[in-house]
Amino acid sequence: MFTRVLVANRGEIALRIIRACKELGVEAVAVYSKADAGSQYLELADDSVCIGPAPPAESYLNVAHIISAAEVTNVDAIHPGYGFLAEDDTFAEICEESNIVFIGPRSDVMRKMGNKAEARRIAKENRVPVIPGSEGVVGDEDEALGLAHQLGYPVMIKAAAGGGGRGMRIAHNDISLKNMLALARNEAGAAFKDSSVYVEKVVSPARHVEVQILGDSHGNVLHLGERDCSIQRRFQKLIEETPSPGIDSDLRSKITRAAVRIARAVNYTGAGTIEFLVNPEGQFFFIEMNTRLQVEHPVTEEVTGLDLVKEQIRIAAGEELTLQQKRVEFRGCAIECRINAENPADGFRASPGTVRRFNPPGGRGVRIDSHCYSGYEVKPCYDSMIGKLIVHQPTRAEALACLRRALTEFTIEGIHTTIPFYRDLINHGGYASGRFDTHFVEDFLEGA
Amino acid sequence: MDAVERVRQLIEIMSSNDLAELEVDEPDLRIKLRRNVPIQYSPPPGLAYAALPPQGSVPPQTALQVPGLGGEPGGPVHDNTLLEITSPMVGTFYRSSSPGAEPYVSIGTEVDPETVVCIIEAMKVMNEMKAEVPGTVVEILVEDGEPVEFGQVLFLLEPIAE
Repeated sequence: MFTRVLVANRGEIALRIIRACKELGVEAVAVYSKADAGSQYLELADDSVCIGPAPPAESYLNVAHIISAAEVTNVDAIHPGYGFLAEDDTFAEICEESNIVFIGPRSDVMRKMGNKAEARRIAKENRVPVIPGSEGVVGDEDEALGLAHQLGYPVMIKAAAGGGGRGMRIAHNDISLKNMLALARNEAGAAFKDSSVYVEKVVSPARHVEVQILGDSHGNVLHLGERDCSIQRRFQKLIEETPSPGIDSDLRSKITRAAVRIARAVNYTGAGTIEFLVNPEGQFFFIEMNTRLQVEHPVTEEVTGLDLVKEQIRIAAGEELTLQQKRVEFRGCAIECRINAENPADGFRASPGTVRRFNPPGGRGVRIDSHCYSGYEVKPCYDSMIGKLIVHQPTRAEALACLRRALTEFTIEGIHTTIPFYRDLINHGGYASGRFDTHFVEDFLEGA
Repeated sequence: MDAVERVRQLIEIMSSNDLAELEVDEPDLRIKLRRNVPIQYSPPPGLAYAALPPQGSVPPQTALQVPGLGGEPGGPVHDNTLLEITSPMVGTFYRSSSPGAEPYVSIGTEVDPETVVCIIEAMKVMNEMKAEVPGTVVEILVEDGEPVEFGQVLFLLEPIAE
C-alpha cells in the first residue's frame, strides 16, 4: 500500500480522496491554488502545497507544478479525481516516467478510450451495439453530408477528443450540418487541441444509462451495476440514481455484460464507467467510456456498500480484487442531486460568493459530499458544483420521500443554489414515476 | 467632507506626528499611506501576488492605493516597506549553483533586477531565479534544500533609497 498520495484536485472530490486515504492509513498531500488557500478541507490533509494562482491552467492543470509538488513531498502516487487531469493521458504518462503511480488506468488505455471514435470501434469489435454513425472520424464536408443522408437527420457531430457532454452539436439539415461541422471543429480545436469529429445519428428520446466497472492488474474485471443519469440539462447531469427505473433485469444483464466485455478487451485497470443510451424500444447503444472516477460514484457506493476511491487506491497499489462478481450485492435505491452554485431562476447563471449559512441535512440514509461550510467562499473561476446530496433507502419510493425531506432541510444562504429547483423537480409526476428520458429537464423547465 | 479633503487631513496627521505609515480601513475609505516610499507601486512582472478576491473587496475611493503585500498563504508578517521575492513555481530551493559553491546572495547583498538570487529545482531542471527588483537582501526565509511552493516568500529586500 502507498505511504503517501498526492490529491491533484480541489473541492469535494479532493476531500473525498483525502478521507479515503486517511481511512486506509495513507498520508494525503493536498494541492491548492491561491484562490483555494484557506479552504478548510486542506487542513484534513497531512500536508498541502500551493501550486499556482487561481486560473486552472496555471494551477490544477499545471502538470509541471503538480509533478514538482509530488516530488518535493515524496509521494508514491497521485490521485487525479475527476475533471482537470483525470483523463489526460500525457499527464498519466509523465507520472509513469517520473516513477509516480497514477491512480487510474494506464496511459495507453486512457489514450485509446479517450479517442471517442476509436472507442466506438472497440465497442463494435466486441459485439457491443453502437449508435449508428461514422466509422471513425469524418474527413470532409461531403463525407459528413453523405453520412447524414444515410443515417437520416437529425445527426450529432461530436469531438473525437471530447466527452463529458462537451464538443457536441446537433444538425437538422444540410445547411445546419455544414455550419455545425465547421463550428464543432473550431470548438474542438480550441478546447481539446484536436479538431477531429465523428458523426452519430441522434437517438432520441433515450435514457442515459451507464455501468460502473472495476478492473485490477491481475486480469479481474467486475461491474458494479448501472446508474441512470437521464436527468440532465445541456448534457450536464443533475440527478443520478441506481438502479435505473427504466430498464428491466434482462436489459440490465445485457448492458452490464457488454460493459465488462469492453473493459476486458482493453485490459482496463482501476475504476471506469461505460455510458450507453437506451431507447424506448429497449435497445442500448454504446456512447463512450470514461476512464476515471465519476462525480456520481456515491450512488453505486451506497447500494453496493463498497468504497470506490479506496478500491481505486488498492488497485493502483497492485492489490487483487478479492470480490467476485456473484458476491456483489445491490441493496435498495440511491439517488444523488448535484448541488450547484447557480441561480435556476436566472437561466442557471453561476452564483459565486460567500456562503453565509450552510446547514446540510442529516438522518438515516442521507449523505453529503461537500467541501462547503458557513463562511466558505465559492469562487467564480471553478466548476459551480459545491456538493452532492445522496440518499439511500430500501425502495425508490422511500428514497424519493427521503430526498424530499432532505432537500427541505438543506439550507444554503448567501448564494443561489439549485436546491429549490430540485425541490420542484422531484415532485413532478414524471420524475416520481421513473418514466423519464434525457428530455425531461428541458420539458420541465419549459412547462414550469 | 470629500475623500481628497480627508486624505489631506490624514497626510497632515502623519507629518505632525512624524508617522512613517498610516492605514485607514473604513466602509467608505480604505487607504494606506507611507512616507519615503513611492505611493503608486506597480509590481514588476515575475513577482507573484495573491489573486484579488473575486467578491467583496471594497474599491478604494481615492487614487492612492497600495496593493497589499500580505495575504500569501501562511506568509510571514513583516514590515510592509520591504520587497518580497516569491517563488513562481513548486520545487526545491538552493542558495548556490552547486553543493559547496558560494551562495548567489547573502544578507546585505545588493541586487538589481537581473541578479540571480537562487535556484529552484523542479523535475530535475535547475531554474535560476532573478531578483526582478533592485534592493538589498535583508532576510532569507528558506533553508538551502527546502521544498518551496508557489507564492512562497523566499527573500526580503530593502528597496534602494531614492
